[in-house]
Amino acid sequence: MLRRLARAAVPGSRAPWARWSRNWAGVPAQVVDLRSDTVTRPGPAMRRAMAQAVVGDDDYGEDPTVHELQEKAAELLGVQRTLLVPTNTMANLISVMGHCRRRGSQVLLGQECHLHVYEQGGVAQIAGVHSQPLPDMPHGTLDLDELERALTRGFGSSYHPVCELVCLENTHSSAGGRVLPIDYLRQVRLLAHTHGARVHLDGARLMNAAVALRVPPARLVEHCDSVSFCLSKGLGAPVGALVGGSRDFIEEAWRLRKALGGGMRQAGVLAAAALVGLAEAEEVLPKDHENAQRFAKGLQDLASPVCSVDPATVETNIVLVRVSGLPPAELCRRLQAVSADEVAQTGCAVSVLLFPWTAHSVRVVWHRDVSAQDTELALRKWEFVLRQLQP
Amino acid sequence: MLRRLARAAVPGSRAPWARWSRNWAGVPAQVVDLRSDTVTRPGPAMRRAMAQAVVGDDDYGEDPTVHELQEKAAELLGVQRTLLVPTNTMANLISVMGHCRRRGSQVLLGQECHLHVYEQGGVAQIAGVHSQPLPDMPHGTLDLDELERALTRGFGSSYHPVCELVCLENTHSSAGGRVLPIDYLRQVRLLAHTHGARVHLDGARLMNAAVALRVPPARLVEHCDSVSFCLSKGLGAPVGALVGGSRDFIEEAWRLRKALGGGMRQAGVLAAAALVGLAEAEEVLPKDHENAQRTPGPGITRLLCGPCHRGDQHSAGAGVWAASRRAVPAPAGCERRRGGSDWLCRERVAVSLDGALRAGCVAPRRIRSGHRTGPEEVGVCAEAVAALRRRDPGVRRPG
Repeated sequence: MLRRLARAAVPGSRAPWARWSRNWAGVPAQVVDLRSDTVTRPGPAMRRAMAQAVVGDDDYGEDPTVHELQEKAAELLGVQRTLLVPTNTMANLISVMGHCRRRGSQVLLGQECHLHVYEQGGVAQIAGVHSQPLPDMPHGTLDLDELERALTRGFGSSYHPVCELVCLENTHSSAGGRVLPIDYLRQVRLLAHTHGARVHLDGARLMNAAVALRVPPARLVEHCDSVSFCLSKGLGAPVGALVGGSRDFIEEAWRLRKALGGGMRQAGVLAAAALVGLAEAEEVLPKDHENAQRFAKGLQDLASPVCSVDPATVETNIVLVRVSGLPPAELCRRLQAVSADEVAQTGCAVSVLLFPWTAHSVRVVWHRDVSAQDTELALRKWEFVLRQLQP
Repeated sequence: MLRRLARAAVPGSRAPWARWSRNWAGVPAQVVDLRSDTVTRPGPAMRRAMAQAVVGDDDYGEDPTVHELQEKAAELLGVQRTLLVPTNTMANLISVMGHCRRRGSQVLLGQECHLHVYEQGGVAQIAGVHSQPLPDMPHGTLDLDELERALTRGFGSSYHPVCELVCLENTHSSAGGRVLPIDYLRQVRLLAHTHGARVHLDGARLMNAAVALRVPPARLVEHCDSVSFCLSKGLGAPVGALVGGSRDFIEEAWRLRKALGGGMRQAGVLAAAALVGLAEAEEVLPKDHENAQRTPGPGITRLLCGPCHRGDQHSAGAGVWAASRRAVPAPAGCERRRGGSDWLCRERVAVSLDGALRAGCVAPRRIRSGHRTGPEEVGVCAEAVAALRRRDPGVRRPG
């Protein structure tokens, strides 16, 4: 969906950003890409690390850089072992397959969570696991009473699937990058374990949550039986994610990774970049959060009837902007387009890229490739567009 | 399994090769790693290319280096489109899922082909497709009559699975890197299409086949409906493979790749290495073939032939699994081993098992599977013998 949207925004182009800047009869436009933190590109330090990485055949367990990453990450996440995989989607899928072993297994998860909406229905299609989605609360949490009801529904009855897994997402993307409270994690674990289920944490943006709460990631993972952890989003690596869990879980995860086709060879070239990203995370991610906050406050100060945001809900690097009075896709188009008017009024041409999210909102995501200055430019562009929309 | 074996060979070590060289009380050992062509590491040119690659988010279709690779590969393979994936296992799985759409679908493939033996039963486990394995002929081919029988068996009957796909492997790893004859490819395609099935080519080592036959890879792919093509074996890239096929097939393959978790982001760093590998292939692969072919030097008085029926691509320790493009003529004194069936003799030397293990040129699995040429002997290629002898003059000569 996102791929089609990205292409639809600029029909006929495979590289929309390049096309946008060529739209300007000679005026070079500054592109501020706020579509997702997946767009981060490896910087000089990462490229150097990749070029110098000592590698081996990781399928034979002989890539020392992959070992280094997996060991360091296991310590960081407070798990016994981790396993490098190509994407967080695969990390989630492996985790579901690893926890849900029996036929007629069921997973409980949020209606709007990434695993349920954006992973091609893999839990059903590939893993043969039944999904029972529950309504998401605004904070990205699930209602604990609903959760308990769903966990216990099949008890004593052979007519129901067997609930083996609860999946949480931290930070919760669709809720706007919200951080799950630690106490909530503890309660979910208690409920799940009481009723014979495990807990998997989709930690694609776990470092953002840890940085926001100022705790080590292990404090968030300790309440879960497994975790997926993305290296290619805010951490900036080009490719990769990790599955984390117990020794036995990861032993089985190796087979599952192999079956899915994720057993890469000299993957140390990717692990090297990930190690750089991990080392820089505590410095880089807080800046992304500050930029997102600054933008949200700036937008709120504009007091526009068309776009509104509550800065109190901006906890990490994602801002969901509520849009009324025009379709979100139209707002995105206007923010992306540049014109002579804009240059005349603001002194520069800025093309802001973002995705429409729901029927009434757009999602704006900060990452290491967007500076405080870029944030300022984006705000100025937003202001210009809102002014144009005024009657 | 291979991973455990590699580690088991040297207990307590994750890097067997390093341990073996430390076994030599101060004597630095030359390691000749002939286990598989997957062990290739990126050289300076590849590392430079990776460091300088222009990248973007490939999930959004915005990585120019991935585009470049996919377009060049499509032209090379003579298909409409290709798609970059992390491994050839995934490329095969995506292809099976792409061709076998209905419930009760069946795939015909060789009993010893990589897809059937070494891919975790993914076609069943992940794709829900039923496998009907057929006996492999020594040349890596399937018997065409058997194939036709299997293709037509379910016709007119609702009791049988529906055969939707035939999978071929070129070069055929378990057969010893054999090249499938072009005429055979044509015949399989004719049979399959006549009976309503498609043909997928596991082309993990397709470039080896093309180089051996001195034809463009497209000549081999034109008889198939889809192809998987590995970038991380002989071509030397660290990670990656391609699925190739029609525009529609690849459109669906994108979804399947996403579902399996293969939709990488700034994958241009990997594509850049693959481009270097492709550019160098025509120069590099013939040398690998020559090395595999090379006869032993003087002093080797007797040759034993030890064909390995079940050798997998990872136990290429004897150096025999590099694709050889033609039958190796039997040298004088060459014997045919029991169980060799129609295997052609290969030039091998009998050395002590211990020596072969120490040299790291035979994976332990081959020993356990009974591919010995004698009680404590195993056949290894002449190159390995030379390396062994440099290390340990006591390595037993054939008597």
